Amino acid sequence: MKALLSEKNRIWLGIFVLMAFLISIPFFASDYWITLLTLILIFTVYSSGWNVFSGLTGYTNFGLAWSIGLSGYVSSLLIADYGFFWLFAWPVGAIFTGIVSIGVGYILLRIKGVYFAISMVALTEGTRELFGTKYLKTVTHGGIGVPFVAGIGLSTLYWAILVLAFFTIVICYRISFSKFGLRLLTIREDEQAAETLGIHTTREKIIAFILSAFLVGLAGSIHFTYQNYIDPSFAFNIQLTLTPIVMTLFGGVGTVFGPLIGATLFTFIHEILWAELTLLYMAVFGGILMVLILFFPQGLLGWLKERGILPRSRKI
Amino acid sequence: MARVESILRIEDVVKKFGEVAALDHCSFNIEPGSITGLIGPNGAGKTTLFNLITGVLRPDSGHIYFKGEEITGKKPHEIARKGVGRTYQIIRIFPKMTLLENLIVVGKGKEKRVIERAMELLSLVKLAEKKDDNASELSFGQQKLLSLAQVLMLDAELVLLDEPAAGINPTLQNELMALIHQLNREGKTFIIVEHDMNVIMGHCGSAIALNYGQKIAEGTCSEIQNDECLLEHYFGR
Repeated sequence: MKALLSEKNRIWLGIFVLMAFLISIPFFASDYWITLLTLILIFTVYSSGWNVFSGLTGYTNFGLAWSIGLSGYVSSLLIADYGFFWLFAWPVGAIFTGIVSIGVGYILLRIKGVYFAISMVALTEGTRELFGTKYLKTVTHGGIGVPFVAGIGLSTLYWAILVLAFFTIVICYRISFSKFGLRLLTIREDEQAAETLGIHTTREKIIAFILSAFLVGLAGSIHFTYQNYIDPSFAFNIQLTLTPIVMTLFGGVGTVFGPLIGATLFTFIHEILWAELTLLYMAVFGGILMVLILFFPQGLLGWLKERGILPRSRKI
Repeated sequence: MARVESILRIEDVVKKFGEVAALDHCSFNIEPGSITGLIGPNGAGKTTLFNLITGVLRPDSGHIYFKGEEITGKKPHEIARKGVGRTYQIIRIFPKMTLLENLIVVGKGKEKRVIERAMELLSLVKLAEKKDDNASELSFGQQKLLSLAQVLMLDAELVLLDEPAAGINPTLQNELMALIHQLNREGKTFIIVEHDMNVIMGHCGSAIALNYGQKIAEGTCSEIQNDECLLEHYFGR
């Protein structure tokens, strides 16, 4: 019997059904579920954004919170003090972060390995201090933070992050098998060899860094609009860097869908542990992480690919 | 003065690492279409010279010209795009990428054409069947061939090979040298660093000998072989 649909069309149908389901969720699900999914999607964008730069180039970015916080701050201040509509404030924050990233990338992407990672931590901590000082209080409100109301409902916010997460994954998918994606991989593999084969590694690194900062920045803007509050220690918190990295390791570094799967599983496991083992959950969680890193360093998708359960394609 | 423009001109190049002069006022010309051997004991400055030509290192003084155009101090990727390709003594391919990806990523232009060219080159080095394997799965000798194919993908006019024959079996070595001669007939210029004097004498038209960063001899292979000064330095006689 002839198959009703080709494999490609079946995949498209699957994506369509999944998206229709996700879009319809606010019509029947409780606020708890919408909130949980919103957080999963925010962290999916953080993780994918981290992965598209660090997972492909091998430059470990320990300053993800810097892009999240900077864009979050710009958009929050625009909404709180300048009466911007949220839909306009978000991209302004992300574009601002992207532009600053050009300078940061140009300076810091000459430093390799652990030194780059540390310099990004230092940048994040420095920016946190800067936003809390009394000298910038007229602009940033200083350390007391910025409470604000953006006038956006939970459902609308959920749809917004759903659209962003969808496009983020589409972008990562397109990059995964493009020549740009391959050029980023050569930086991870052997940067000097890539240079002597005519690849302009500095340019490629900076482009990926800006793209990452922009996507993560957009999600950061949405995140703080959702919280209705921002302050320096909250915006530039190291947790916002570490959690997406762990999620990506969990799902598979350098894969397309690893960050999505990692963010989803991580959040659910976190929720269950929190609800069932409130006092022990951090200890159990730490244990699970150690097992994963020891036995599945390539992440869930990497492991499945290695076992031949999934095809060894860059498109997954 | 009417003469063929040298494809590569090294002029009075100095490179010091601290107090040690890796290259000490070194000058020579490479003619287009030649195969030149670069010989000398360990630490003579051969690999440093390759690093200077390809822009991995910058000379302290002196000038390097490729096809009459100064390339001193240019970035490695700019020099590569002008047509200077190299392989490394320690193989430097992209291990966790497939063979096809290793080549495609180097190619410029239309995607379809790039893939066709990559497949041609994989066939040329007899690795077409393995196109979807990761490069890390290849044997040492095959990795050397892949690395050469990458340089060809770059369509370099001047190819610098750092010990291409070292560590591979004689059959593969012969195939590799045959390939180099074939490419040479098609117009590519080669500079080969090699310790195996049989490779140099058998395959290079001329040779340049370095010691302590200085050029100590230059000429055809038979001239080099009879050079007393060189024999003293190199063969310890």
